[in-house]
Amino acid sequence: MASLGELERAVMDRLWSADGPVAATELRAGLADRGVALTTVHTVLTRLEQKGFVTHDEARPRRFTARASREDHAAELMHEVLGQAADRQAVLARFVGGVDDDEARLLRELLAGDGR
Amino acid sequence: MLPLTAAALAVLAALLAWPVPALLGRARWPGRDPLVALVCWQAVGLAGGLSIIGALLVHGLAPWGHSLPEAWWSWVRGELAGDPVRGDHWVTMTLAAVLALELVGVLALSWLRTARARRRHRQLLELVVAPGAEPDTRLLEHPAPVAFCIPGARPLLVLSSGMVAELDEAELAAVVAHERAHLREHHHLYLLPFVAWEAALPVLPAAGRAHAAVRELVEMRADDAALGELGGADPRRTLARAIVAAAGRPGGAEVPGSALAVTGGAVRARVVRLLDPPAPLSVAARTGALLGAGLLLLLPTALLLLPAL
Repeated sequence: MASLGELERAVMDRLWSADGPVAATELRAGLADRGVALTTVHTVLTRLEQKGFVTHDEARPRRFTARASREDHAAELMHEVLGQAADRQAVLARFVGGVDDDEARLLRELLAGDGR
Repeated sequence: MLPLTAAALAVLAALLAWPVPALLGRARWPGRDPLVALVCWQAVGLAGGLSIIGALLVHGLAPWGHSLPEAWWSWVRGELAGDPVRGDHWVTMTLAAVLALELVGVLALSWLRTARARRRHRQLLELVVAPGAEPDTRLLEHPAPVAFCIPGARPLLVLSSGMVAELDEAELAAVVAHERAHLREHHHLYLLPFVAWEAALPVLPAAGRAHAAVRELVEMRADDAALGELGGADPRRTLARAIVAAAGRPGGAEVPGSALAVTGGAVRARVVRLLDPPAPLSVAARTGALLGAGLLLLLPTALLLLPAL
């Protein structure tokens, strides 16, 4: 039994690689190897819509599209993670922030000097 | 009347608003024991807030009694003041209420805002990360060498594919151990009050200084905790190599360096400290610092609760 998180990822993958809007039945067919019921697909789609990642059109049956492309999604994510202002460190703890080129050279010299 | 108590609290508040954070921020010993230093910073923040609000409150309520609890109780019951109530009493009482509300309100707001941002990050991440090499790690497909964790009830520890490509196995283990230490010791909770108070008191340079110091100490503490878990010949060097490698290539070609460059001083301090470790604090110095932190909290509390001087 796949977790909802995994299913969300699988559904998004299919929406991202599809050429246009996709109906829930097509999505379920694509997920047949996981033995997913149509109601589960609808649950997953509703959750994704609530999170703002997916929208549907008014056709019958409804067809679903990803709001942003995979690339835009990754870009937004990295913008959030990398573009961290000081006050965001409480949101997520980054291992180390990037430094400018001069500082990077200085750090490498420090490391090399210690090895001697 | 409680004039001496109010004056003593005001002096304490002034000391904690400027000279004490400046001294603690400039001191060399915090790098020798980040955890003790973190406790001291929390004490400075808490005692500072207590004494400034307390000073205003004690002065404002002075006409109603001889100790703050007594005066407070009699004011709450709407009793007549024993001494004439002047305008400055009302002004300080109002100021105390405004300040207390602002500090608590901003803290609550920061808490909500970080919780919301974390949830959003987690939602964005969950769609794109794959399981990582360890059961508690996730892999994010991206060329920039980044590693981070999102604290909370369902913590998330993420390594980018760029990070995995950049580092060898021992260095990666060091990175993961560092991030795990953040999560295990709930470092985000140490940071939260300082984030909030910097936002609440932007005019107070000590608030910004305290926040920066606490951020740096939390990283050092996570480095120390990671070292305790790492095997290998020279874990200090391994961790230092990982820091330099990750900091030196901030984003590859896709991310402009200037957009994400942080001040290098804190990174350098971490590397220097790993390569050339300072002697740990002696037991006496540790005990002294912790006792000092305890006294710092006890002093305004005692001034507030005991009958007036």
